[in-house]
Amino acid sequence: MALLELKKVKKVYRQGKIEVPALRGIDLTVEQGEFTTIFGPSGSGKTTLLNMIGCLDTPTEGEIKLNGNKVSKLSQKQLAMVRRYNIGFIFQAYNLIPVLTAYENVEFAIRLIDHSKELQIKEKVLKILEEVGLKGLENRRPNELSGGEQQRVAVARALVKEPKIVLADEPTANLDSKTAADVVKIMIKMNKELGTTFIFSTHDPAVMKYANRYINLKDGMISTDERRG
Amino acid sequence: MFSLKLGLKNLTRQKRRNILIIFVIAFAFFGYLVMDSLMNGMEEMSFDNIKNYDTGNIQVVNPEYWEDREDLPLENLIYLNQDIVESIKKIEGVLGVSPELRFKANLNNGIDETAVIGLGISFDQYNEVFTTQNYIVEGSMFAPGELKAVIGVSLAELMDLKVDDYITLLVRTKDDTFNTIDVEIAGLVRAPNPMINNGIVFVPLDVAQQALNIGNGVSLLALKTVSGEEERISKSLTDNFKNKDLNLKPYSWKESASSVIALSAAKKGGIGTVLLVVLLIGMLGIINNVILSALERTEEIGMMKALGMREWEIVFVFMIEATGIGILGGLAGCLLGYIGVSWLVKYGFSIGYISGGDASGYGIPILDRIYGIWNYPAFTFLFILGIIIAVLSSILPSYWAAKKDPVKAIYHR
Ligand SMILES: Nc1ncnc2c1ncn2[C@@H]1O[C@H](COP(=O)(O)OP(=O)(O)O)[C@@H](O)[C@H]1O
Ligand SMILES: [Mg+2]
Repeated sequence: MALLELKKVKKVYRQGKIEVPALRGIDLTVEQGEFTTIFGPSGSGKTTLLNMIGCLDTPTEGEIKLNGNKVSKLSQKQLAMVRRYNIGFIFQAYNLIPVLTAYENVEFAIRLIDHSKELQIKEKVLKILEEVGLKGLENRRPNELSGGEQQRVAVARALVKEPKIVLADEPTANLDSKTAADVVKIMIKMNKELGTTFIFSTHDPAVMKYANRYINLKDGMISTDERRG
Repeated sequence: MFSLKLGLKNLTRQKRRNILIIFVIAFAFFGYLVMDSLMNGMEEMSFDNIKNYDTGNIQVVNPEYWEDREDLPLENLIYLNQDIVESIKKIEGVLGVSPELRFKANLNNGIDETAVIGLGISFDQYNEVFTTQNYIVEGSMFAPGELKAVIGVSLAELMDLKVDDYITLLVRTKDDTFNTIDVEIAGLVRAPNPMINNGIVFVPLDVAQQALNIGNGVSLLALKTVSGEEERISKSLTDNFKNKDLNLKPYSWKESASSVIALSAAKKGGIGTVLLVVLLIGMLGIINNVILSALERTEEIGMMKALGMREWEIVFVFMIEATGIGILGGLAGCLLGYIGVSWLVKYGFSIGYISGGDASGYGIPILDRIYGIWNYPAFTFLFILGIIIAVLSSILPSYWAAKKDPVKAIYHR
């Protein structure tokens, strides 16, 4: 059974009387442990597709199955629970909470699903922060960290609850190319170590090359889908 | 709990705005507490003034006289035999009994005339009940039988009178014929009760009785009692009068001054209105604060929703923050209020500024200065109410923030 299955997924945005078709029939299957990049020009539907997969929104038509369970017709409340336990998000703008330290930003995510004792939580959080290369910076607040470091906190936050799938919408768009490559390398490392499935979107060819599956999106349709490595 | 920690840490964001709203709440609380203290102080002073200079704690009156008392009639008087006063004095808790004869008069200084209230008193007995004698600022009181009078300083000023001047009181006797009382001014009084200063002429009781041709009749007996025992003493009095088949009734000072009731009602209304305004200010401040915070943190709310936080969990974070502001504002307000009330209790507040030194025109029997009194329950009450209001007024805007569509919030569309 595939981790993720999309069948004829369509999404139409309505702006007053105008209908904007953002996705026009997506068929896609993603296996556990894949490291997939979705690329395509701006407006091709990358964000929309990731939002559908991430259960942030529901498709206008078609079906989405996560782990064999149909999620395309769930209510907002049910979707929230699916996200809570199964999905990690990494955002372009990091979206860290400025008043919390790196440690606390990660702790925030794990506390939502794990009600273990302080000590066990601490162990988990410190371990994942070390994995993403932030040992020693745990007590810094976001404004005391560089962009790359902030995005690594966000990676740790997405991974700490050991989700089935991590979705990252243009996670490197705000970073310079070297830092961007570092962040992607960390994601690959985590993918290899934990077997977490990653799907991330980008329009930066330099970042793309690290993935083992490439999906090209054009006008809301998949134009190519290749595996490599 | 993590949400609690986050809510409290969020208090450190937008420090300036939070401090501003905390100050607004603090000043509103301060205003309320000071006003409450002053209003209560004013009420207490008014009551004291009524008791100490006007009615005593209890007045014993013929019920028919009581009906018409505003007209100062010479009918339905109490005809004194020594026994009435003595038997009242025997009741435990009664500290003094003063017979009073109240009558209408016109005061003539030889040039002008003005309407006044004549008050026939027996000096020794009057002193047992009232403290007016302490406020004689010039001259002295009179002895029984002396053809002398004591008047208030304001009246003296109005009629251009000094100690040792002669005045004539024009009165109507019981038989409706005119008579005069010619008296020398023995002293001037400046009492804390403006009524006394403005329009009362004290004369010896026997002099007044003679001039009005009413034998040994008096309008009423004013009683000074142990404070707070009025009710029990009234009961004893009622029994006493019933046994002796006397048509007399005790009236407590609360009943005798209709202005007292009006004043208390006005006080409650005033304090209630201020309370409402204070709470409204706090409420609008908190609502405004939550809305602004939610707008600034749209992407953060989107992130929280993406992480799968439930609506009420997000609401909780915002509510903690709002409650924190409510608590800090409340604490600061109570502290400011404590300082303000301490000052008012010690130094008072001159009402000379608003009334030219005499608030009787406003129906308040107080002169010059109002002192605040401590009302500790008001502090606790306001503090707790403030927190409840902070919690309640943050619920709706927090829900509004938490209900945002996650996609729209994350991408701020
Ligand atoms: N909320 C929306 N309302 C209307 N149109 C939208 C909305 N979101 C996206 N679109 C449109 O859908 C198309 C795909 O957008 P998007 O998924 O953001 O593309 P990408 O992420 O690849 O740039 C674009 O034409 C965009 O204008
Ligand atoms: Mg996009």
